[in-house]
Amino acid sequence: MPFLTPLALAGLAFVPVVLAMYLLKLRRDRAVVSSTLLWQRLVTDVEANAPWQRLRRSLLLLLQLLLVVILAMLAARPFAERPAGLARDLVVVIDTSASMRATDVAPSRLDSAKAQAIDALRDLPAGGSVSVIAAGGTASVVVNATGDVAHAREAIRGIRASANVGDLGDALRLASALAARSGDAQILVATDAAAPTLPEGTLRAPVKVLRVGRAADNQAIVALAVRTAPSGLSHSAFISAANLGLKMATRRVELYADGALREVRTLVLDPQRRTDLSIDDIDDVAHPASVVEVRLTSPDPAALASGAPASTDDLALDDTAWAVVPPAALHRILLVGPGDPYLETALTYLPETELYGVKPDDYGPATHPEKFDLVIFEGWLPDALPAGPVLAIAPPTTSPLGVVSGTTENPAIGRLDASDPVLRYVDLSTLHVAQAQKLELPTWARALIPGTGAGPLLYSGTLGGRPAAVLAFLPRQSDLPLQVAFPILLANLTGELLGGSQTPADAVAPGAPVTLAIPVGASGVRVTRPDGTTDELPAPTTGAASVTFARTDELGVYVVTPIGGPNASATPSGTDGASASTPATPAPASQAASASTGASTAPTFRPADPAAPARFAVDLLSVDESSIAPGDPAKIERLGAPAAGASGQGASAGQGASAGQGAPASPTSSGTAAPAQAQSRDELWVPIVVLALAVILLEWLVYERDTVIRLRRAAAARLGRAPRPQR
Amino acid sequence: MSAPSTPEPLASGEAAGAAHPTAAHGTRHGTGALLPSDMDPTVFDEGFLRQLERLGLLMKQPVRGGLKGGRRSTKHGQSVEFSDYRDYALGDDLRQLDWNVYARLERLFVKLFVEEEDVTVTLLVDASPSMAFGRPEKLLFAKRAAAALGYIALAGEDRVVVSALSGRTARRQASLRGSGRVFRLLSLLSGIRLADGPTDLLAAARHAGTMLPGRGVVVLISDLLDPAADRAVRELAAQGSELVVLHVLSPDELDPPLQGDLRLVDSETGEGVDVTVDLATLDAYKARLAAWQDGLATVAAKRRASYAPVPSDLPLADLVFAELRRRRVVG
Repeated sequence: MPFLTPLALAGLAFVPVVLAMYLLKLRRDRAVVSSTLLWQRLVTDVEANAPWQRLRRSLLLLLQLLLVVILAMLAARPFAERPAGLARDLVVVIDTSASMRATDVAPSRLDSAKAQAIDALRDLPAGGSVSVIAAGGTASVVVNATGDVAHAREAIRGIRASANVGDLGDALRLASALAARSGDAQILVATDAAAPTLPEGTLRAPVKVLRVGRAADNQAIVALAVRTAPSGLSHSAFISAANLGLKMATRRVELYADGALREVRTLVLDPQRRTDLSIDDIDDVAHPASVVEVRLTSPDPAALASGAPASTDDLALDDTAWAVVPPAALHRILLVGPGDPYLETALTYLPETELYGVKPDDYGPATHPEKFDLVIFEGWLPDALPAGPVLAIAPPTTSPLGVVSGTTENPAIGRLDASDPVLRYVDLSTLHVAQAQKLELPTWARALIPGTGAGPLLYSGTLGGRPAAVLAFLPRQSDLPLQVAFPILLANLTGELLGGSQTPADAVAPGAPVTLAIPVGASGVRVTRPDGTTDELPAPTTGAASVTFARTDELGVYVVTPIGGPNASATPSGTDGASASTPATPAPASQAASASTGASTAPTFRPADPAAPARFAVDLLSVDESSIAPGDPAKIERLGAPAAGASGQGASAGQGASAGQGAPASPTSSGTAAPAQAQSRDELWVPIVVLALAVILLEWLVYERDTVIRLRRAAAARLGRAPRPQR
Repeated sequence: MSAPSTPEPLASGEAAGAAHPTAAHGTRHGTGALLPSDMDPTVFDEGFLRQLERLGLLMKQPVRGGLKGGRRSTKHGQSVEFSDYRDYALGDDLRQLDWNVYARLERLFVKLFVEEEDVTVTLLVDASPSMAFGRPEKLLFAKRAAAALGYIALAGEDRVVVSALSGRTARRQASLRGSGRVFRLLSLLSGIRLADGPTDLLAAARHAGTMLPGRGVVVLISDLLDPAADRAVRELAAQGSELVVLHVLSPDELDPPLQGDLRLVDSETGEGVDVTVDLATLDAYKARLAAWQDGLATVAAKRRASYAPVPSDLPLADLVFAELRRRRVVG
């Protein structure tokens, strides 16, 4: 029997020590008895009739000698050899993507994958090395070419699941690069192969896939957005839930606004289909929401009792999504025109809006129209339109906004699309227009209030990258200002032009880096992760405007607070690296303020809540990752190089390129030498430990035999059996 | 036995019946000099003595004695127990003729009656050093048992002789008769001391046998821890007396509390035996002990003797009322 540490057999030197201890004369205690008459006869009888009595001590001696031998063998680490099933250099890739959190196999796919990988390491040949790669959103080398299999096993056990969208291709490329260092390498991939992103070309080593997972059902939230309602008074949530399984499913959608349950819907989801859901008025002006959380939960038992299909969900990670409601921003509107009390009054009623006015004659570059969020031209148009959003009311001349071909009297109103957000809650059935400009609908716009022949009365669209809308008539030349619909229409229209509903707080993909703006005066930002831990990110350089945060591997809402910043907060700006600019103090907008609105001629930007921390959400929202049905491992295995010789895949010995133990042969040496088949070593410590324990137990039983017999007799007596007869 | 200051159990001896110790009166009147100085009053309390009075030795066969005994009713001045007939001869007492038989057969027959006599009860107490062992001490138990049996004999108008087996001899004490001598009996028993050296039980038993007054009852109270114990029993039984053997062993001898590697030293001879005591050894010891006792019982049975193994922690009441009654030593 071969041993790994044969020097430990020196422990057999304890055998004579044990013998010597038995050879030493036993020291007996002296006890005076009334008579030794019976004892003398007894000793005679025992020696004559029961020789095994003397052997009892010998039995103890034998057991203790046997124990010494067993322990010495255990220390010498005997092993058995068998043909190895893996290459000498193994690269283990563990898929840690979000789909590996599925629980269709207990306890999870990742745990199953780790167990399979650890089990597969038993086939590693003696002297082989192991590299371990965790394939999450990005590939990371956990262990690099270690010969300590126990260390590799421990490293595999320590791999944790991520919430990232997996990139198995990245990991396979890395594994291929690691495998290329050796001529006898193999890539072992433990994955569910669910919608993997595979690299192009072939890898430089054979690939073996340990597939985990079964066909699984999963329902997920694949989209979530919160928009400001066209009215600007509340927010709406748009949710897309997908059933990625093959059976119909019933799920309950719960919407929480700042932790308070606001809406519950029960959805019956068709298999392999998405279901969109819109929930309006999730908050109000008095209680604006800052964070919206949507959960996909089990349906009510009542719903199931009513015949709704039951459902199972094997991946809980994608059942919750968060969205951050963009903070209400103060909008500045410049009204250029002679002045219309109806219009000015309606505009002043818009929330979070400051209105500025200027006469057409005073309008010019000095007005700095670029500093306003919306410029409204009333019955007048400049030669050059500002770069920002524009609303033209009764444009007198043809311009990029539209072709004016004259005026029309009493134009009729065409069929309205009530589903258009601009016309939401707007009733124009009693609208009468005295005179309107005769316009043609441009190609870039959609008609909101179509006419019956004289052109549209209101249209909107995107002109040259800027939102633009044209109202064909002056409000005072109609009865619109006298109707309830007027302020609503104006609010919806300005809301669309100001982009309030088009600047979603986009969720960040897990694992994606986020650039966080550092407020002026702050030395950095502090990020509080969803689990409550905080990361402090000091500014990389003095005066840096932003810092990158990459620990977005956990789903949830991250809170960003400035460090040392007195009254400014950082805001996430996505992955484009753009930093949040500090709002500059605007110059006076005009020399002629609108008297009727009383608006300031020197506006100062006032943040909605300077002390409020900024938030951003990290959501999975990935159909690919939520599609957890296991894929075809053959696709991945086909990427690998063909198995080369005996070392991999159980190929027969003598045909491969691998050399014997020691230095692996290079690929070019194939066929030049008779390779020795790689052997795996199985240490035999388990049966030896069991044997040692058995011997120890037996030795104890022999030593404590009297106690055991007494206990047995006591138990028998307690159970009512007749005790051994005694005189 | 501890020395009592006032023998209270006997102070109320007036109610003890006809056979109560006459010395009780003396005790009540302050003449306590007759009391054994080392008597344990907790053993012979009033209730125990009263029960002893109702007991007598149950003789297995009639024995010849020097005096008439009082164990049976002597209402008519002679025995009334019919034994046999024989032909009339001249000189026979005509009052013994059975006239009814003569009327039927016209032959003269003389009725023979069993004559009741007194019996000498010899109490042989082993005083070898091995009797000093045990908890309670075997010798103490032997003295108490001898006192109980002696009292029963005295109450039955039998003669009681106490002998201590010590060394190679039997030291015979005075012969007592009558229930009034019970305290003398207790005093004699209390005076028995352990032998200084080893005791040869066979030699002492032979010596005792030579001093037996005739046929009677011999009660041997001993642990019999002697290689020749069986021969001693055999020879005592061969003396013609009815032999009762009380084999006293202490609980420590019946179930030794020993364990481990020991050198056992004989209390009399000082010889040592090396033994490793474990449960198997103890089981073998107990088996050996049982076989030894069985052998002694067999020897006793062959000689029509009574053999009673008794542990030294057996209460005297149990000894007298249960163990000896069961073996029909007393009735």
